[in-house]
Amino acid sequence: MLCLETNNRNGCALCDATWGEYYREIDGDRMFFCCDICADIFENMVSEVKKRKGWKNIDHVDLDGNFSTGRQCTAKSGKDTFNFYFRTYSDGRMMKFEER
Amino acid sequence: MTFCPVCGLKFDSGNHRLLADHFVDQSRSSDFRHVSWLNRNISKNRMKTDDLSVSLTNFYHISGGIGKWIINDFVRRFRGDNPHPFILAMQQYDPEVIRGYVVEHHHFLKQWIRSCSYVMAKTELEDVQSYELENIMTELHGYGDSEPSHHELLIRMGESLGLDRNSIISEKPLWQTAEAVKIWNDLAASGSWISTMAAMHSLELIANRDLSRYGARYPYFNPSILSDSRVPKEVKAFLREGYEADVSHSYVALDLVERHAGNGDVEEIQYAYLRSAGAFSDYLEARLERGVMLGNK
Repeated sequence: MLCLETNNRNGCALCDATWGEYYREIDGDRMFFCCDICADIFENMVSEVKKRKGWKNIDHVDLDGNFSTGRQCTAKSGKDTFNFYFRTYSDGRMMKFEER
Repeated sequence: MTFCPVCGLKFDSGNHRLLADHFVDQSRSSDFRHVSWLNRNISKNRMKTDDLSVSLTNFYHISGGIGKWIINDFVRRFRGDNPHPFILAMQQYDPEVIRGYVVEHHHFLKQWIRSCSYVMAKTELEDVQSYELENIMTELHGYGDSEPSHHELLIRMGESLGLDRNSIISEKPLWQTAEAVKIWNDLAASGSWISTMAAMHSLELIANRDLSRYGARYPYFNPSILSDSRVPKEVKAFLREGYEADVSHSYVALDLVERHAGNGDVEEIQYAYLRSAGAFSDYLEARLERGVMLGNK
């Protein structure tokens, strides 16, 4: 079974925080987030990657960064990888998304 | 009185255990505002009430005066290792960012003088009233053609980058700015003069050139902008106002707060500052978003 994972193994799939008790199903996986805004951001990021790369699913995302600096990421789908940077406004809307 | 720094809920003075209980409850319901405040100010790691209570006590602990507490927090929040995105954007000249600055800052300045007026109306202290009166004159009224107000310099900066004066003044604020203005107005209308003074004038630290000794890693803007031939003189004139201001002047307001604050004022000052700084962060985002909306023409 395919399963979307991130390098944040302790808590929220986006920011790794362990506060909160929010779950959302993304690509068939029930994922833990600290709040609905982190879930919105993650879901938007996944959609954007799939749209740009034409992938049907994502296996793994490495995220490095935080809210203020934005996040440098590597997504993997099978043998393909995609490096990108994104940052959002505080309400979760995408501010910048670019291949890097 | 202890206040929740996110929603303003009140608790008995110094009762950080009840405040911690409140945060733990809000975390259970995954409330974004409370959870993100904990993530950014206390820890990303969930704690039990007892441990969180200790962490909150440490967070609010003051050593060296309320002014220094505010400066240290402000630097960490806006100009430290993880600076605000607006600060990062100002490290190079970008007309798009400056245009967004102009349109949203007009609304900030209109609220600024309202908040300063509340301070004057609520105190009998002449040093405080004089300070605020001079501030209002400088920000919005000016001293004739030789010393235009900061507001006038702001409008001229926008005009030099292709914006229309009437459009700047009539444009409605983005929601982040509108929300921030409401928070600043509510703090001033319902709070003490001294908490309002701290809430508003702490924001001037954003442009303070002296903060590296408090750990600031970034200036408000890259000073090379002031000598860049691509930059209109009106942009330089606006930015130079803050940059060349006497460093000692930038601490006057916080010194007044420190001098006049009694023990009973400190918790309200910390609350008002934290609400104001949170609003300011969202407002700075609005400057960036407005810039994107206006486009880099």
